[in-house]
Amino acid sequence: MWLWTLGYFILMAKITLVLTVVLLLAAYLVLVERKLLGRFQARIGPNRAGIFGILQPIADGIKLLVKEDVVLDGAERGIFQLAPVIVASMALLTFAIIPFGKPIIIGGHEIPMVISDINVGLLYAFALTSLSVYGVALGGWASNSKYALLGGIRGAAQMISYELALGLSIVPVVMMAGSFSLVEIVNAQAKWPFIIVQPLAFIIFFISALAESKRIPFDMPEAEAELGAGYHIEYSGMRFGLFFLGEYVQMQVLGALIAVFFLGGWRGPFLPGPIWLLIKIIGFSIIMVWIRATLPRFRYDQLMTLGWKILIPAALINIVITGVFIVAF
Amino acid sequence: MQPIIVIGFLNNMKVLIEIAYALYMGFYTTLKNLFRGPFTEEYPEYKRPLPARSRAQIILTSDPDGQERCVACYLCSAVCPVDCISMQAAEADSGRRYAKWFRINFGRCIFCGLCEEACPTSAIQLTPFFENSKRDILKMVYEKADLQVDHCGKDKNYNFYAYAGIVTKSAGKGEHVKEEKPVDVRTNMP
Amino acid sequence: MPKLIIDNREIEVPEGIKVIEAADRAGIYIPRFCYYAELGAVGACRICAVKFVDGPVKGIEMSCMINAQDGMVVSTTDPEARDFRRHVIEWLMMNHPHDCPVCDEGGHCLLQDLTESCDHGIRRYKGKKRTYVDQYLGPLIQHEENRCIQCYRCSRYYQEFAGYKDLGVMGIAQRIYFGRYAAGVLESPFSGNIIDLCPTGVYTDKPSRYTGRRWDYERVPGICINCSLGCHITVSARYREIVYLEGRYSGKVNGSFICDRGRYGFFYANLEERPRQGRVRGEDVPSGRAITMAAQRVKEVSESHGAAAIAVIGSGRSSLETIAALTHVCKVQGWRGPVLFDSRVSSESVRTAVSCIAQELAVSMKEIESADFILTVGADPINEAPMLAMAMRQAWRKGAGVAAIDCRSLDWPFQFEQVTAAPDDMADFLAALENSETTVISDRFVAQIKSIAAKIRACHRPVVVCGTEITDSKIIYGAAGFVKAMRQAGQEAGLFYTLPAANSYGAALLDEIGETAEDLIERIESGEIKALVIVESDLWDTFSDRQRLIQALEQLELLVVADFMATEILHRADIIIPTLSIFEAGGIYVNQEGRAQWSPPAYAGGTPIKITGQGGHPPRIIRPDIPAGDISPAWRMAWWLADRQPPASHDLLLDWMGKTFPVLEKAANFTSEGIRLYLPEARRKTARETGGRKIQSLGEYLLLPVAAVFGDEPMAQRSPCLEGYAKHPEMWMAASDARLFDASDGDAARLQLPYGPLELTLRLSERIAPGTLIVYRCPDLFWQQFARSSRFIVPKDRIRIEKKA
Repeated sequence: MWLWTLGYFILMAKITLVLTVVLLLAAYLVLVERKLLGRFQARIGPNRAGIFGILQPIADGIKLLVKEDVVLDGAERGIFQLAPVIVASMALLTFAIIPFGKPIIIGGHEIPMVISDINVGLLYAFALTSLSVYGVALGGWASNSKYALLGGIRGAAQMISYELALGLSIVPVVMMAGSFSLVEIVNAQAKWPFIIVQPLAFIIFFISALAESKRIPFDMPEAEAELGAGYHIEYSGMRFGLFFLGEYVQMQVLGALIAVFFLGGWRGPFLPGPIWLLIKIIGFSIIMVWIRATLPRFRYDQLMTLGWKILIPAALINIVITGVFIVAF
Repeated sequence: MQPIIVIGFLNNMKVLIEIAYALYMGFYTTLKNLFRGPFTEEYPEYKRPLPARSRAQIILTSDPDGQERCVACYLCSAVCPVDCISMQAAEADSGRRYAKWFRINFGRCIFCGLCEEACPTSAIQLTPFFENSKRDILKMVYEKADLQVDHCGKDKNYNFYAYAGIVTKSAGKGEHVKEEKPVDVRTNMP
Repeated sequence: MPKLIIDNREIEVPEGIKVIEAADRAGIYIPRFCYYAELGAVGACRICAVKFVDGPVKGIEMSCMINAQDGMVVSTTDPEARDFRRHVIEWLMMNHPHDCPVCDEGGHCLLQDLTESCDHGIRRYKGKKRTYVDQYLGPLIQHEENRCIQCYRCSRYYQEFAGYKDLGVMGIAQRIYFGRYAAGVLESPFSGNIIDLCPTGVYTDKPSRYTGRRWDYERVPGICINCSLGCHITVSARYREIVYLEGRYSGKVNGSFICDRGRYGFFYANLEERPRQGRVRGEDVPSGRAITMAAQRVKEVSESHGAAAIAVIGSGRSSLETIAALTHVCKVQGWRGPVLFDSRVSSESVRTAVSCIAQELAVSMKEIESADFILTVGADPINEAPMLAMAMRQAWRKGAGVAAIDCRSLDWPFQFEQVTAAPDDMADFLAALENSETTVISDRFVAQIKSIAAKIRACHRPVVVCGTEITDSKIIYGAAGFVKAMRQAGQEAGLFYTLPAANSYGAALLDEIGETAEDLIERIESGEIKALVIVESDLWDTFSDRQRLIQALEQLELLVVADFMATEILHRADIIIPTLSIFEAGGIYVNQEGRAQWSPPAYAGGTPIKITGQGGHPPRIIRPDIPAGDISPAWRMAWWLADRQPPASHDLLLDWMGKTFPVLEKAANFTSEGIRLYLPEARRKTARETGGRKIQSLGEYLLLPVAAVFGDEPMAQRSPCLEGYAKHPEMWMAASDARLFDASDGDAARLQLPYGPLELTLRLSERIAPGTLIVYRCPDLFWQQFARSSRFIVPKDRIRIEKKA
């Protein structure tokens, strides 16, 4: 019994640790993004709240929390209120399967540095990303606003399309690791990260991941220029904040998944595992910011062409090639 | 058959290279900016001296001889796209037409400068002073006393009543710039 | 019918009209300064130049000087014509002062518009500008001769069209000057039209000087209610007050012009003393509260004394809606009234006139202009309905003869022949004209009457204009009979009555009983009536025995007064209810020919900014409503007073009026053009002699208070700018009578009347009927203004003449 209790506390500690890091990182990613975007555009970026704007995320958080929570007259109340929760929670839940370090051994017991090592972890991750489509689509529909509805529909179409490429691009990785478990995949990269052997899969996964996160250049569902703010146009206060949070957690999720699948997860020389994972996540987030600062938005037909006509065939070809190589060697 | 394929392949390669180059240039440009440092002038710490013709706070100027320039002709209020100017004209004892009251609602003003352009007497002028926000909306409503200044503003010379030809205390009929003496209707002399 | 082509548009026009008018009919605007449809063409300004491309005339010509002829091809946009006009503008602007910002015409100035459209911006001529000294032309018109472009519109209108001589053109060559010989008040009561006519800012409106610009005004097409003619006007309102009125073209009523009484008679709507709040026993309350309180008090009186103890007084200055509402409310509640006429004589005259007039007999004012003989009976158009005089002058200018049967010394701006008849003799004269029965009239007039009768018989479109003020119902009835007889004889005769108030006709349509204020006062004195509701009535000024009125009012248990003007009676009320003027509520007014015309509201009401801001900046407060904007029109108030719900909208009200009153059946289909309303055959009256007391013996004089153009009409007399125009107290006497008193013109006369003494200046005239004393009503008559249609018999010993020093 005490063992179970201890295990429970260890699990709670891990969850708390991961949540704290992820949420803090999400908050500061916003600041980092704004600061970096400013620099990319030869501006300063936020610098009024605290030194270098260090308190900006807190100010933003307070602002979002105290703002009025508006539910429109014509909105589908329940669904409207549920949608941001879906988006945020789905993004957060993905972190349950991300291994963030070498297992520690205390008193002969091995404590895995992952909240939950599921043997079908990969499927779990994809299931969650798929579910977050509901948040976007339902939020857009329940707002009873044409802009939000258009944004929601675009979001659903885009995310479903790129999910295919995302999933197919990772098949070679699974083939090489021989497991769906993220822990096993990381372990399989002990010698070299998969990016070296699977550069094409990496590129497809990265592009699809960007599209999944609905960030520039794939921000069709939000598309300020045409739709105002897309699916979350009618949201205010902390409900909008949840969508916002979801987006930045999603950034980290994708950074973490890329690290796990292609960069050897927490593995790296000199520094401890969690630090390496963090460095990789933040590195990818910064690259996303850089992309945002550089590229314009795709047109809708270009978006679909890229997904269906280029990425999916390329991923399929990659699977075949990888299969041939595995059989051959 | 074969040359066509080769040319097609080369063409495709060319396109791919172009794409790659374009991406490279784009990312290079943004990256370059990252290290160039910001150009921002931080406002409350540094206040850039604005040109005399920049458009902010509105004033009502005076003639070179010190009298109110505004004749309350209603042109500024007519041209104002946000209807923030209102006034009432009246006749002063001196014979001059003037604004009995003149009100600008700066809560509405968009500082477009059309009033200044419409003003036939150079009375209404925009100044570079823009730090005029208030916490009370009623304080944004400026009355004539708040607007009237005792200098000429940007136009140092113009004096409408020297040309207008109407009788005021300062000039009677035929005493304005380029005016003949009043006609004597009762003479038949040429 | 010549056919011509103007700017590639073919148009067929009647023979004899000018090319510029033909273009107007085709919807093509040719610039003009001197040409004006009513005034005709003189070819003075040269701006209407067009190119005659083909046809009988070729080259650049003035379109206002060339008759439209068959086969003409005219181009208004030909480069040569445009260049010509551009030069004309440049010449005209050579001496025009640089004062548009301080000129009131700016914004609706024809010269400004055309200068802009000819693209003339910079004066090339380097010489000096010509200047003129301006004149004082009275409190209505501001003169600024520098701006003149010598179009002659003002002098042509003033002298030719209106028939007055004191404003005209002087000087030669470069020194042409438009003005009076010496500065002074313009004599014509139609002078204001030169403001509208002047294509630039030489004549501008003085009372509204510097008030605003045309583009800032809320402008609606309205109806003038300062007399019974119902002239068309354009109302301009700004900052919750009426700024000025202009004439509005009407092909049926007034043409383009209006009189000064109508033009400046609107100030009552702007006055500070106007009631803008309810008042209950000396305490200010919101107007809605005052209505509920009044309704409650009326109910109390009704419960304690019966519904018949409540009486309602209305008047002919209320809109038809108000009169209809009052009539309805009185009927369903069992209240007495509404009493719409102040005196029995007036009631009888007006109701007779309205019952005599019928669609086939009535002529409009515009039709009078094409009459070939006009006979007036006891009517003084210039004082009773000024624009009628203008219409008669136009007929006269076209060659119509004018004859007047009247006891006054008439002063009209055209030639006419007067038959001086005492009020009691007018009916006989009329009969003599009708059937050549000359035995009843004095031998002196037989020859004159016979010649007039011959002239009338010789013409095709005679019009009989009959007054209702000094005439009795027999004369009024006789006039209608005369017209009918002439029509039977094959002449296209027309009948035209002048009525005392703007809506007297409407009042007579709805008033089936004909009870008068005189009757009501008697009932109050007998204690029959305990509560009185007075709605928009001038009883104080029009009831002849003021002492009796005051005593009667004091006898009442409840006096409710609803008005939009601060009448004297308002201050004596227990409950004051403010109502809306025509400019705020709009209203239908039926003019003297039965033409019901709708005047829409010009602004939403409320206290003028001039008053709320005390002349300076408007108050610095943010409020969602208009100060004193909660006042409701009198027709709504009528229903609420009876604790009933009025129709929700004006359209529903019109529907209701059409259904409720058979005589207003057409009101349900009311159009902006107006409708014609006449009494049905069944309600027509027959002649009845009610001419009041007659002169019994030679030693008695008949004192007749008569209308004056200024200072008499209850609304216009409140205009501050018209104060100086009211006549001084004068008594006109026949020169033959004066000999008996050994009096001469200018002497002081003192009358001892039962209600008090009266001091007047004596004026003599040959044309006053012997035995008649004429007093023009004016505010300076110290004890009261004379009642309408009242007559006083003054014994000779009550008249004292003091020689002037």
